[in-house]
Amino acid sequence: MLGYLLKRLIQMLLVLWIVSLVVFLMMSFTGDPVFMIVPIDATDAEIAQARRILGLDESLPVQYWIFISSLLQGDFGQSYVFRQPAMTLILERMPATIEMVVVAMVLAVVVAIPLGVYAGANPNGRLSRMIMAGSLLGISLPGFWVGMVLIYLFAVHWGIFPSSGRGDTAEVFGLRLSLATWDGWHHIALPAITLSLGTMAILLRMTRAGMMEVARQDYMKFARAKGATRHDVLYKHGLKNALIPVVTIFGLQLGDLIAFATITETIFSWPGMGKLLIDSIYRADRPVIVVYLMLVALIFVVINFLVDIVYTLIDPRITLK
Amino acid sequence: MKTLSHTVWRMGALGATLVVATAGATLAQDKALTIGLTADPSHLYPLAGEELSSNIMYYHLYDPLVARTAELEFVPGLAESWETVNDTTWRFKLREGVTFHNGNAFTAADVVFTVEKARASIRPDLVANIASATAIDDLTVEITTPTPYAVLPNDLAELLILDEEYTTATGDEQMDLKPMGTGPYKLEEWIKEERLVLSAFDAYWGGAPKIKTVTFRPITNPATRTAALLTGEVDVVQDLAVRDVDRVRNESGFEVITRPSLLNVVLAMDTRPESPTIEGPNPMVDQRVREAIARAIDVDAINKIVMNGLATPSTQFVPASHLGYVDGMDFRQMYPVDIEKAKALMAEAGFPDGFTMTLDATNNRYVNDAQIAQALASMLAKINVTLNLNIMPKSNFWGYIRVPSDNSSFIMSGWDVPAGDAGSMYAALFYSRDKKEGYGQVNRSSYSNPEVDALIDKADATPDVAERDAILQEATKLLMADIPMIPVHYEQDIYGVRDGVKLTPRTDKFLSAFEMDIE
Repeated sequence: MLGYLLKRLIQMLLVLWIVSLVVFLMMSFTGDPVFMIVPIDATDAEIAQARRILGLDESLPVQYWIFISSLLQGDFGQSYVFRQPAMTLILERMPATIEMVVVAMVLAVVVAIPLGVYAGANPNGRLSRMIMAGSLLGISLPGFWVGMVLIYLFAVHWGIFPSSGRGDTAEVFGLRLSLATWDGWHHIALPAITLSLGTMAILLRMTRAGMMEVARQDYMKFARAKGATRHDVLYKHGLKNALIPVVTIFGLQLGDLIAFATITETIFSWPGMGKLLIDSIYRADRPVIVVYLMLVALIFVVINFLVDIVYTLIDPRITLK
Repeated sequence: MKTLSHTVWRMGALGATLVVATAGATLAQDKALTIGLTADPSHLYPLAGEELSSNIMYYHLYDPLVARTAELEFVPGLAESWETVNDTTWRFKLREGVTFHNGNAFTAADVVFTVEKARASIRPDLVANIASATAIDDLTVEITTPTPYAVLPNDLAELLILDEEYTTATGDEQMDLKPMGTGPYKLEEWIKEERLVLSAFDAYWGGAPKIKTVTFRPITNPATRTAALLTGEVDVVQDLAVRDVDRVRNESGFEVITRPSLLNVVLAMDTRPESPTIEGPNPMVDQRVREAIARAIDVDAINKIVMNGLATPSTQFVPASHLGYVDGMDFRQMYPVDIEKAKALMAEAGFPDGFTMTLDATNNRYVNDAQIAQALASMLAKINVTLNLNIMPKSNFWGYIRVPSDNSSFIMSGWDVPAGDAGSMYAALFYSRDKKEGYGQVNRSSYSNPEVDALIDKADATPDVAERDAILQEATKLLMADIPMIPVHYEQDIYGVRDGVKLTPRTDKFLSAFEMDIE
C-alpha cells in the first residue's frame, strides 16, 4: 500500500510538471497579456513599465524558471489582470463550484442508479424504454440550452425559482455555503439540475448495461433459487458486480464537472471557478490558467486514487499494487 | 416556437410586476437598488487597471479633482476652482472639509501623493501631461504641464484621488479589496462574481446619496440578465441584448433606455507604399482609392441589417460634444454611397480591376463585430476589392495590429475619447509615427501629413481651450478630406430598467447610483 502511494505521488508530480510546461508553451501563442492591461493608446514607455511591473519583461524560459522556483516556495504567482495571488482567486471561488457539483452528482446517482437497475432488470418493459429514451435526451441536449429553458420556465414563467445567483450563504467551518440556508437551496436547484442531467444519463446507461450483463450470470439464478428476494438479488448480488464501470465513470464525471462547470456557471451567473478559467483565457491571464489547470490535474489524480480504493471495497479480488 | 416563447415572457412579466409591487413598499423608507452588470469589476484600486465595471466602481468610491458630468461637461469636483498662473502652471483650489470614508481629511498632500503614485503604477498615462504637482498650502495645489496644455482639467477627471496615509499603509494588493476614497458610496461587501454592495456615504461633500444601498450583480450571459430583470431580481440591467429589446419594450412595468455611446468604430487604411497583405504597390496611398472604399461602404445598411437599427452612423471621428468637432460637417454627406463614382475613382487611380487585401477585426470586442466585417467584404466586392477576413479574439488582436502594424493593411477597431477632446485621438492616431514621444503611437494607417502634424503641435501648445478647439477643427477638415480612416458608427448603449427607477445614461457608460433615484 505504501509503495502504491509513493508511486502515485511521483506520477502526480510528473503530471503537474507536464501540465505547467504545456500551459506555458501554449500561452506563448495566445497573444501578449500586456495588451489586455494597458490602455489602447499606451506609448512604448508605458507598455515597458507595465511589462516590468507584471514581470513580463523577461524571456519565456526565465519566466518559467521564476514561476517554478517560486512555486517550490509555495508562491503560485499573481494574476496579471487582478493583481492578486492566483491561488486565492481560485480558492475563493471553489466552494461555490464544489457545492453545486456535489448536489448535481448526488442527484445524478440517486436518480440514475435505481432507474438503471430497473431498466437493466426489465429490458423489455414499456417503462424501461421510456427511461432509456429519456436518458438519450439527457445525453444529447446541450447544457446551455437546458439551462435557458429551465430559466424561462421555472424563473420567468412560473416564478418558482430565481433565475440566477447564489442567494444567501452561511459559514460552515469557515466556508461560505449555500446549502446551509433555505434561500441557498432555492438558488442551487436549477443549476444543479442542469449540471446533473448529462452525468445522470451516462450513469443510468452504464448501470443498465452492467445489470443486463450480470443478470445473465448463473449466480444470480442461484441466489434467487436459494430464496433471496428479487430486490436483494438485484441490489446486493447484481448491482455490486455491475458497479465497477459505473464508479469509474462517476469519478471521471466528478472531476470533469468540478473543473469545467463553466457553461452552467455562466448561464446561472453562479460565482464558481469555471467562469474564472474562461475569463482568464479571454484575457490571456497566464498565471491563473496555469494554477487552475494544475489544480484540475491534481483533482483528477486524487479522484482516480479514491476510485481505486473504492474498487477494492466493491470487489475484494482487486488489490492496490 | 415564436408564439410560445412570447407567451412565456408575457406570463413572466405578470409575475414580475407582483414582485416589484411588494418590493416597492419596503423601498419607500430606505431606497435600495440592484444593478445587473455584464461583468464583475477586476479592481477597486484605480491605479491597478481599467475596464468598464471597475470604472463604474471607482467613481462610486472615489472622486477626481474635476468631475465629468453625464453630458461630458467638466465641472468642479474635489477642486472647487482653478486658474492658470502661466502657460504651463495651473493652480487648483481644493474643497474644504472633505473627508475620506475613514474620516481622514482630504488635503493637497493627497493630490501630490496620487500623482506620484500614478506615475510609478501600471497607469502612468493618467499623469502623462503632468510635469509636477506641488502643495502650496493644505488646500491649494499647483500642477505644471510639460508644454502648454489647454485640456488639463479634462485629463484630471480620470485621476481619482487616494488617501495618502491609508494607501501607503494598506499597500497595492490590499487596496484592490479595501478601497478608501471620498466618493458618494463606500464598500460594504464584495463577494467575487456574486455581488458587490455599496452603502451611501452620508457625509459626502456633494450631499447624501438618495439611494442608500446599491448592489451590483455580475450577470455575464445576456439572456440571463434579461430574465433577472423580468423576474424582478434586478432593477436595472446594463447592455440589454439587442434581441431582447423589443420584448422588454413590450412588457408593462419595464422600460428600455438607449443612447449613442462614445465608441466610434473606425477602419484604418494603410498608407505605406508597400502594405503587408497587398501584392505590389499599395493602392491606398492614393486618396482616390481611399475615397472609393469610403463610398462603397453603406453604413445605413450595416445599421439596418447587422445592428438592428441600434447604431448611430458617425459623422466625424469624434462626437459633436467634443473639441475639434466641425458643426455641420458629415462624412456620410461628403462621401455618400455611390458604387459608380467609386468605380470611376478606382479607375482614375489606375486600379480598375481592384485589388486584394486582408481586414483584421475582432469577434468579441464590439457589438456584432464579426458580422460587420463580413458585410464590409461583400460591400467592397462591388468595387472589385477582394477583402479576406482575418478575425480573432481580442486577446490576440491588440498585439497583432499594434504599431508598427507589420501584419496589417486594413484594421477595424473602436476609439472613444471620454476626455471630450479630439486632440488626444488625433495625436495618437494621425500624427506621423516616430517623430515625437507620445505621438503617433497608434497610427495604424502609417498616415503622415505635415500639415496635420503642425496643427496638432499647435493645439498642444496653446493654453486656451477655444483656440485649441479652432485649431483641432482645422485638423478635422484636413482629415475628413484626406480620409486616413473611415468612421463607421457609434454603438448604442442599451439599458433595461423597471418602472420607477430614474436613470439618465451617461455618455461615458459609467452607471452612477448617485445620479439615479427611485420613485
